[in-house]
Amino acid sequence: MRRLILYVLLLALLGGCAAPVDPDTARESIQVLAMDTAMLITTYGERSVPAAYACEDTIRDLEAQFSRTDPDSAVSRLNNAGGESVEVEEDLGRLILIANTYHQWTNGALDISIAPVASAWGFTEDSFRVPSQEELEELLRLKGRPQFSTPGIVTSVSLSPGQSIDLGAIAKGYAADKILEVLQEYEVPRANISLGGNVLAYGGRPDGTPWRVGIQDPARAENPNAFAGVLNLTDSFAVTSGGYQRFFEENGEHYHHIIDPATGYPADSGLVSVTVVADCALPEYPGTMCDALSTALFVMGEEQALDFWRFWKSSKTPFELVLITEDGRVVVTEGLVDRFTQEEGSGYDYETVS
Amino acid sequence: MTTRPSPKLRPTWADALVILSVAALAMALAVFQWRGGDSGGALTAVVSVDGTEADRFAPEELLEQPRTYTSNGYTLTVTYGVDYEDPSRNALPPSGKSGLRVAFSDCPTQDCVRTGTISRGGQSIVCLPARIIVRLEGGPGDPAEVDAVLG
Repeated sequence: MRRLILYVLLLALLGGCAAPVDPDTARESIQVLAMDTAMLITTYGERSVPAAYACEDTIRDLEAQFSRTDPDSAVSRLNNAGGESVEVEEDLGRLILIANTYHQWTNGALDISIAPVASAWGFTEDSFRVPSQEELEELLRLKGRPQFSTPGIVTSVSLSPGQSIDLGAIAKGYAADKILEVLQEYEVPRANISLGGNVLAYGGRPDGTPWRVGIQDPARAENPNAFAGVLNLTDSFAVTSGGYQRFFEENGEHYHHIIDPATGYPADSGLVSVTVVADCALPEYPGTMCDALSTALFVMGEEQALDFWRFWKSSKTPFELVLITEDGRVVVTEGLVDRFTQEEGSGYDYETVS
Repeated sequence: MTTRPSPKLRPTWADALVILSVAALAMALAVFQWRGGDSGGALTAVVSVDGTEADRFAPEELLEQPRTYTSNGYTLTVTYGVDYEDPSRNALPPSGKSGLRVAFSDCPTQDCVRTGTISRGGQSIVCLPARIIVRLEGGPGDPAEVDAVLG
């Protein structure tokens, strides 16, 4: 009996060493290939493991609705409906509604209906080519916002015959918004979520400092350690769109994947990279806003982008910007000055705007 | 009435073995927890193919022989080398870091080749057409390093 007690005490000692989990060091990190990109989900805390896998489930669920290349997805059903109305799930209906809103606010710079144009360039299927002007003009005639059968109530959506949509410019931002809900549900104290150009810096580092988020230097895109600057972020969404990310070259010309809906050609606005940052606590899907605006402002160019930022400053969903221009400047809006670290030796001229 | 100790309660070699085993296990768990779970440790390359781990090795192992991975109809060759400022021209000076890079891929996007050299834990090279990820884990942590990259 005494021997049994001794063993129980020893096991208790062992359990005492293992049981307390430090929420700042217990973490789970998983990599997910989804939405045509590589995602890295790192969660902390006692529930870090189920939280990380719940994040993955959320991404998979959204991908099953939003994918344009999966023939069974809701978007594919909508694109192939020949103009008929299609019932959609709540997330897809909401995202199309949000896309319509940003299309209006950005004067068409964000347009999910240029999917046929992006396909003509081969960016959807990875079979790159330069389409003819006639072909582009023909495809641009198909542009237009999806219609809701009962305006204001998300039930079913229809496209014009021949029209199709691609949610690639905003889907990852929406996924980041939904992941934020998962992190809050699982009471995760901190997380670092990277969804291929979309980052959710939730909480801060275990040592109490902000997450350090590097902005890739477009001029040295082949070097993953080369940054144009570093953002120090806590509880923030940050999204970058750049013409150096996906592109092909033909006859010495560089063609990137961000299409200007007005011309059907890759946007040529004088910007090489646009980073949009917003607070997690903002209402109305701030992650989606960052994603939508990073694309739209890239298309609009520096002057219009800054005008848009100034106009938006007093709204209930303000955001901040880091613009990198073709002529070697890094333009940082005033709200980021304390959170942005210049990269010494990068060769850029740094400017702050107000 | 007299009592005498039962011979069964005298410690045996088996008891000593159990006690030592439990103590060693407790110490190992304490060290593991002190190091923060899966962080730290030697820098290790982990190659996953379509979500499943396919290979795990010390990056320096590729000094002698590059490794080739084939998936989804595409083939990648991973090598170990110096991180040049301009990998396309091997232009000097190097950044001073050595690491892994995809030296060759027959995928259509070439994003994996363009990623360049990865040299620290947390970095990865992704080939979406082949659904292959080469990821570095562990290594010395540095507070000045970035936690995520935009772009």
